[in-house]
Amino acid sequence: MIVELAHHLYLLIAVLGLALSVSYGGQPVLCQGAFLAVGSFGVVHLERAGLPLVAAVFTGAALAAFAGYLVGLLTARLRGAAVALSTWAFAWLVYAILRAFPAVSGGSQGLIRPSPARLHSQIFGVTITLTPLVHLAVAGSVCLLLLAAVARLNRGPAGLVWAALREAPALATSLGVPVLHRRAALFAATAAVAAVSGGGITVLLGVAAPSDVSPLLSLQLFVAVLIGGTARLWGPVLGLLVIAVIPPLADSLAGAVGLPSERSGGVLTALVLVAVPFLRGPIERLAGRWPERAERPREPGEPSGEFAARTASEEGVVVAAQGLDVAIGETRILTGVDLEVRAGEIHALIGPNGSGKTTALRALAGALQPTGGRILVEATDVTRAGQLEMVRKGVTRTFQRTVGLEGLSPHRQVLLGVHGATPMPFAAVRHLLGSASVRDHSAAADREAWRALHLTELAEHAFDRPRELGAGEQRLLQVARAVATGARVLLLDEPAVGMTGPERATLARVLRRLAEDGTAILLVEHDLALVYGVADRITVLDRGRVLAGGTPESMAADPAVRRVYLGDVDLSSAHG
Amino acid sequence: MSGGVALQAFLSGLALGTAYGLIAMGFSLVYRLTRVIAFAHGDLVIGGVFIGVLVVLGSTPVAATLDVTHSVGLAVLVIAAGAALSAGVYLIAIRPFLQGVGRQSTHGDVLGWVAGGLAAGLLIREVLGLVLTQNAYAVPDPLRLGRVTPSGVLQLPGGETVGVRALGVMGIGLAVGVLVERLLVLTGTGTAMKAVSEDPTAAALLGLPVRRLVLIAFVVAGALAGLAGLLLSPDRSVGVDDGVILGLKAIAAALLGGLGSVRGALAGGLALGVIESFITASSVLGPRYADVVPLAILLIVLALGRQGQRLRLREDPE
Repeated sequence: MIVELAHHLYLLIAVLGLALSVSYGGQPVLCQGAFLAVGSFGVVHLERAGLPLVAAVFTGAALAAFAGYLVGLLTARLRGAAVALSTWAFAWLVYAILRAFPAVSGGSQGLIRPSPARLHSQIFGVTITLTPLVHLAVAGSVCLLLLAAVARLNRGPAGLVWAALREAPALATSLGVPVLHRRAALFAATAAVAAVSGGGITVLLGVAAPSDVSPLLSLQLFVAVLIGGTARLWGPVLGLLVIAVIPPLADSLAGAVGLPSERSGGVLTALVLVAVPFLRGPIERLAGRWPERAERPREPGEPSGEFAARTASEEGVVVAAQGLDVAIGETRILTGVDLEVRAGEIHALIGPNGSGKTTALRALAGALQPTGGRILVEATDVTRAGQLEMVRKGVTRTFQRTVGLEGLSPHRQVLLGVHGATPMPFAAVRHLLGSASVRDHSAAADREAWRALHLTELAEHAFDRPRELGAGEQRLLQVARAVATGARVLLLDEPAVGMTGPERATLARVLRRLAEDGTAILLVEHDLALVYGVADRITVLDRGRVLAGGTPESMAADPAVRRVYLGDVDLSSAHG
Repeated sequence: MSGGVALQAFLSGLALGTAYGLIAMGFSLVYRLTRVIAFAHGDLVIGGVFIGVLVVLGSTPVAATLDVTHSVGLAVLVIAAGAALSAGVYLIAIRPFLQGVGRQSTHGDVLGWVAGGLAAGLLIREVLGLVLTQNAYAVPDPLRLGRVTPSGVLQLPGGETVGVRALGVMGIGLAVGVLVERLLVLTGTGTAMKAVSEDPTAAALLGLPVRRLVLIAFVVAGALAGLAGLLLSPDRSVGVDDGVILGLKAIAAALLGGLGSVRGALAGGLALGVIESFITASSVLGPRYADVVPLAILLIVLALGRQGQRLRLREDPE
């Protein structure tokens, strides 16, 4: 009985670990059993190699973390369904290895280790026998520690990054979050926790057998995580109930009808797995209260200068494209485009649909590699820099469509921008340990977030639910997030889409305010009234080439520009 | 490895690869139309075989010679069971999670159909496992391919032999594979399927019966899987749980052939079969690596293959 309870608690550890990748990272990971196997067989082999038990468990966890990081990097670029496929294949790969190499796995009997285990400390001169009760205490404490650690991390910057990873990875990249590495890191943590769980189970039962870490276990653990819904602490606990209930239920069912019990467990797992997608909706709704209502941090007194220093005004060209050629596949989009955006200047990029405005913006932001020409940031060549590096250099872009982070208040969304652009090495670890530097950093980040909110006139909506914001405020929020990265150059892709007249006036005011602060703004926009009202300089693109460039007045009068916009007609004759 | 052994490995690899190719063709066809990764596809192969065996031979089958009625019955049943299972999996576990007519899987509830497919496969394995309790079974060959010549083997130059059965498997498999591929190119239904694969919304607006076409694709895929099971299972002892790895190998084959191309899937299957056969015959690696290497190939091709972007396996950067 106690053995069973301890076993379930060890499995709960694996579930909590898996929740990091699945619930928080948003990746459907189907290979937790494989990482459990690394811990299980790792502990036995490492002990046989002469390591003491505790060291063997931790070494196993480190090995699993390494394997997890590699698998994480391999899957980080894939779509959800393909992640499921490749992790499922990995689960079977590890299982196939275990079955094919009895030297590793001990064959179908598994590897036996002496049980109960004894821990001997020479320093204190004591020996502890790991009875099932001790296991129960150990597993229980690890569970509580994990729950507390995850809760703490989720409230801090890590929670912001996780929300962005699962809801809007492209947005996260544009704000400077290294998505691939964050995903791989979550994967590594998941794997390490699984290895601890696997090691614990092996020591508890005294055996590591391939059939105990089969892909079926991976599926069961996945179900256990899913059933609790996304990113909620009690979810995995609910899931564990499912896991703990299935085997005895299968046994009694099988006993009643006279069928093999392991298979009945599999059938029950399959039924729960089918039920989960149907149950998710109601569970989410049940738990779906607006999560941010509880805490409303007060706005700090005075804005700081620590982060704001980056936007300090500097005369001259901040970002420039010289003879930029961009092709997507075989299609040539931009040919020889020259652009200069100066500090404190709003530079509008206009042109008909399909003229390459958004492509130019993406190339400048590092999201597309140009095929020719150069991109300079303050005379430094950054043509080959990726998006993340461009954000670090102070160049941030927004998207044409509204990308939402439904679960985060505007204040937290803006904070994501601050943390994305000024990351702290090992922030998660330091946050867990409660280091003072982290507290200072977050206080400064908070001030920076409020600065961005005030600049974009969103301060009074800081704690509203995102979906209750108006269309205009949602667009402004995109700008606010980009401002919060401390950008010296903002690349805005149609920020006025869906805005009402008064909202456009607000946007114009915000843009002017940002420019006066010294920010260089490249504005892609279809609303010519807004453009002529706010821009200092206009470049007109047509079919991937610069058609004309100059002040708003000269552009309004330029016949070539009028022809592109109004068709090839003579306006004076059009009235006749 | 001597030349004779290599030739033997090559021929039996082609036979194995033909079966992989048939499974992969079905997988590719379904993927092309719906962008659904059919997680239960491998289980259709084994499911079809064992349903046929259960009906014809009962729950304790032996690899005895069958009379003509039983042979024909088994062959037809296995293929029909594969097709029926495939249609059932689609209707129950996958379609509820695809958004309406003319939408591909990337729009629907991805977690739903992934979980649905995994659960369907698991259910097929475990329900069959309730009745068929042994680890593996020897399944009789209803096509009696091995008995075309009295000895059942052909002498190869180099002193080795190859089973006549392997050549029969290759012949039947390739003939059916090429026939299905040609039908998909030449018939109106095939053209309509191509339209759905390129733009399901436009196809639906043009009045094409998208739902029926997708159902047909799943049925064809299931029948191909059943045929592959028929060709594959008499050569080896088959267990209820073998379906998953078979399915994953077929996915690897489909990816090698450029996922979404039915012709490529057949070619990829042949390539993977030959690779596996050489691994098994090799003195360095041996049969232990017969599952390990194809699964590793799948992981690597999935992660690093150049088709990832085009085939919508990778995330859009935007």
